[in-house]
Amino acid sequence: MNSPQQDEERRTFREEASSLWLITLGPALWAVHFTVVYAATAVVCAKLGTAYLPYLRLGIAALTLIAVGAIAVIAWRSWRQWNYMTNQEYSHGQPTGEHRHEFLGHAAFLLAVLAAIATLYTALPAVFIAGCG
Amino acid sequence: MMRDAEKTPNSDREPQGPYPPSEAMLAEQVEPRVTAEGAAQLRAAWKTPQGVKYLTAVNNSEVGLWYALTCFFFMMAAGVLALLMRVQLAFPGNDFLSADRFNQFFTMHGSAMMFLFAVPMFEAMAILLLPAFLGARDMPFPRLSAFGYWCFLIGGVFVFGSVLFDAAPSSGWFMYPPLATQSEGVGSDIWLLGLSFIEVASIAAAVELIVGVLKCRPPGMRINLMPLYGWYVLVVGGMILFAFPPLIAGDFLFELERSFNWPFFDPERGGNPLLWQHLFWIFGHPEVYIIFLPSIAIAAMIVPTVANRPIVGYSWIVLSAVGTGFLSFGLWVHHMFTTGLPSLSLGFFSAASESVVIPTGIQLFAFLATLMVGRLTLSVPMLFIAGALAIFVFGGLTGIMLALVPFDWQVHDSYFIVAHLHYTLFGGMVFPVLAGVYYFYPFLRKKMLSERIGKWVFWLIFIGFNVTFLPMHLSGLRGMPRRVFTYPDEPGLNLLNLISTVGAFIIAIGFLLFAWDLLRPRRKHPLAPLNPWNAGTLEWSNDVPAEAWGSRSIPYVTSRYPLWDQTKLVERMHAGRYYLPDAPEHKRETLITTVLDARPIQCMRVTGPAWITLAAAGFTGGAFIFPTFHVYWPAIVCAAFAIVCILYWLWTSTAPIPPKEMRDVGLGLKLPIYAAGPASAGWWGVWITMLGDTTAFASLVFGYFFYWTASADYPPADAVHANGPLIFTASLVLLCSWALTVAAREVNRRGRVAMARVLLIAAPLCAVGGIAALIASVLVAGLDPVSHVYPATVWAFMVWACVHMGAGIIMQLYCLARSLAGRMTPTHDADLWNVTLYWHFMALTAAVTGLVIGLFPRMM
Repeated sequence: MNSPQQDEERRTFREEASSLWLITLGPALWAVHFTVVYAATAVVCAKLGTAYLPYLRLGIAALTLIAVGAIAVIAWRSWRQWNYMTNQEYSHGQPTGEHRHEFLGHAAFLLAVLAAIATLYTALPAVFIAGCG
Repeated sequence: MMRDAEKTPNSDREPQGPYPPSEAMLAEQVEPRVTAEGAAQLRAAWKTPQGVKYLTAVNNSEVGLWYALTCFFFMMAAGVLALLMRVQLAFPGNDFLSADRFNQFFTMHGSAMMFLFAVPMFEAMAILLLPAFLGARDMPFPRLSAFGYWCFLIGGVFVFGSVLFDAAPSSGWFMYPPLATQSEGVGSDIWLLGLSFIEVASIAAAVELIVGVLKCRPPGMRINLMPLYGWYVLVVGGMILFAFPPLIAGDFLFELERSFNWPFFDPERGGNPLLWQHLFWIFGHPEVYIIFLPSIAIAAMIVPTVANRPIVGYSWIVLSAVGTGFLSFGLWVHHMFTTGLPSLSLGFFSAASESVVIPTGIQLFAFLATLMVGRLTLSVPMLFIAGALAIFVFGGLTGIMLALVPFDWQVHDSYFIVAHLHYTLFGGMVFPVLAGVYYFYPFLRKKMLSERIGKWVFWLIFIGFNVTFLPMHLSGLRGMPRRVFTYPDEPGLNLLNLISTVGAFIIAIGFLLFAWDLLRPRRKHPLAPLNPWNAGTLEWSNDVPAEAWGSRSIPYVTSRYPLWDQTKLVERMHAGRYYLPDAPEHKRETLITTVLDARPIQCMRVTGPAWITLAAAGFTGGAFIFPTFHVYWPAIVCAAFAIVCILYWLWTSTAPIPPKEMRDVGLGLKLPIYAAGPASAGWWGVWITMLGDTTAFASLVFGYFFYWTASADYPPADAVHANGPLIFTASLVLLCSWALTVAAREVNRRGRVAMARVLLIAAPLCAVGGIAALIASVLVAGLDPVSHVYPATVWAFMVWACVHMGAGIIMQLYCLARSLAGRMTPTHDADLWNVTLYWHFMALTAAVTGLVIGLFPRMM
């Protein structure tokens, strides 16, 4: 008989509990943020003019906070999935469900960090540039 | 126990038997007689056709080789064009080439290097190598690879051949309107239709490669153990699906303007040339990374071998591949910094262009770290990798400069750009691919390339490259514009240009030497050893001398470097100890495994040699080539024949119902032969194809809203709109057709075949009604597509939707015919699953078309 603990481990590391999509979530949020910011700027500058730019910049700031917040949640969840603090494992080269599970967490975490940096980069021009021209 | 009601009809198709195999099972010896019998069966199943029939081969080793050699030929030819241009530019005021000839040459040089060399070379290498990295027998859809190759060959010869008839496109490889839309002659049409045709082949390759990476890995090769090359191919396949369709949509609009005078890019009638620039560069910038990533993937395979240790930072390189794949889609406007977009918008793209440096840099550091901590073996492939890193980093640094808007304004359209792009492409693509050719040659041909000549080739190309392109930075900064056939006799440009020309000839000598070493006969040379570089990955387990079956038996993998860590692996593979060691029915087979943990779930029968793929490619070629000369009837006839060929191909070879459900694949494991729905490779193929198709449709929607944003009168205040009630009816009836298709699948699964057939008659009838209503909505309203861009876009949506629904009708009728012929049953319904999936996307298309051309203009 398996102990309850082993059962729980098996559940956590079974194939259906992971997904390849998780690693793309962080960058996908960057992409959504980037697209919305770009489209909103194009529409505001073309249809409304520079007068509405302060509202646009505030909107971009709010959207960036939301996006970075969501990416932070993904980063936190994937950091937990990586489970680095427990076993200091970072190469994930073993043929086990546990290594596959933690590898996907590790990759998702790194991608979330990259997505957060790229999202903040995208927002920076809105801090410094005050004109459509 | 499962209750009967819960039992699906397919529950008898579950894998049976032990998995994973125990060490005791693997240690058991295979009798030599069994090994020999299995080998004989496999040899018969995978026999390469001889004589003229060799052309019907579909095995990845043949198709990949043809692909690679064709790409190499086009590269050398495009290189000759470059040399002729350098001769023209050697001296100021030279008249070696006329201005028009020069325009044709630089257009063809760029187009050929991109579309006929760089992208297809990735496909060629991946088709050749990927199955071997994965211990698979072949790609999942071999005939699709062959079809893609023949399309590429026909399209490539057609496009490149135009240069010999003084009819080549001459508006630059990015074909900016209005120059390209208004240019006389057939050059622009050749570019548009010829290359669209090849783009279709690229998407076919992407579908195949993604399914290959996700579903054809050997048992045990979990996603964390996959060779890095697999990760890069996965990312690049995904990028192709999102990058090529915008260009196909752009080509569609462009050719409608060229052929029928619909004014998409003509500002006088409301059009906007900038839309083409957007669509082109949404493709064009990711394209650079589509070329770069698979080449750097070759470096990721060579570096651990020459360093004699596993790669450092596997997860970091995965981050780097996936991250670059995403970020590369946020850079396209940096090709358009001088077009007058709002400065705030330019800022976003400048920022994204800077941030892509992070993932790109990480993988280079991971390679350097691996080399530093490993024991380095110097070899010719390593020399090329070192050269690649040096040149690519240099090109990357000028890229960082160019990502800054003010600097870009200064050097835009100058030779500084020419220098930058050649540094990134030589460092990011040409050198790694050359390294790959030296490294994988013994795998492909079982002989070695000459090390002495290899060193000569490297130094000639490396020195020649820097002599050619380093001075171009300076000539660009001094104001020399690109794409101009001559320059004034001013101090400062003459010498730099002459040096560049000399350098170009040094590169050419290097490539000639390489070509000679690559192509000379090697009958008398000794065979290469099995694993000449002492590498750790599966491709070096393939037989010497070569066998057409790929892997003798498909191993159970437990390491990233199985040849280093699993000591008896190669011996056991060759003895036929592992999976699929025989082919009792002389059928070609490979294993399908799960996406994350690579548990075996199916033994898939793959297709063999056939003429039909050639015929299909030939007719598809006709359908694209005749319209170039504005000859439409033969094109329509060709398209009809192409459809017939493809239907015959599908009817005779896809998803046949096997006589026996289960196949004993060895080690006590029994796997089903048939699979339907998400469990089958075909369903994944349709899903991925439709993702690409939907991206192209989304590009049309983007175009519509781009016009709305960019111009004050779109739609014009007095515009006539498509007929509202008819559009509404069309969308509704098309959605009905979708619902009937879904219902047919469900009814069929539950065994009510007659009802399913009735539904499969009703569904296409609805679709026909939907198409008719859609066409009527545009005709009744009297929209004239030539008059203004607004009616032209409505027409474009209508044409797009009708063509897709037409294909959907053919598919519904195909399922009906399969059912009537007994080739599709309640338990064997893969066709209907795939068609339903297609129709899910058609439902989306119908709904969006209705909203965009029916509802949106009335709300404005």
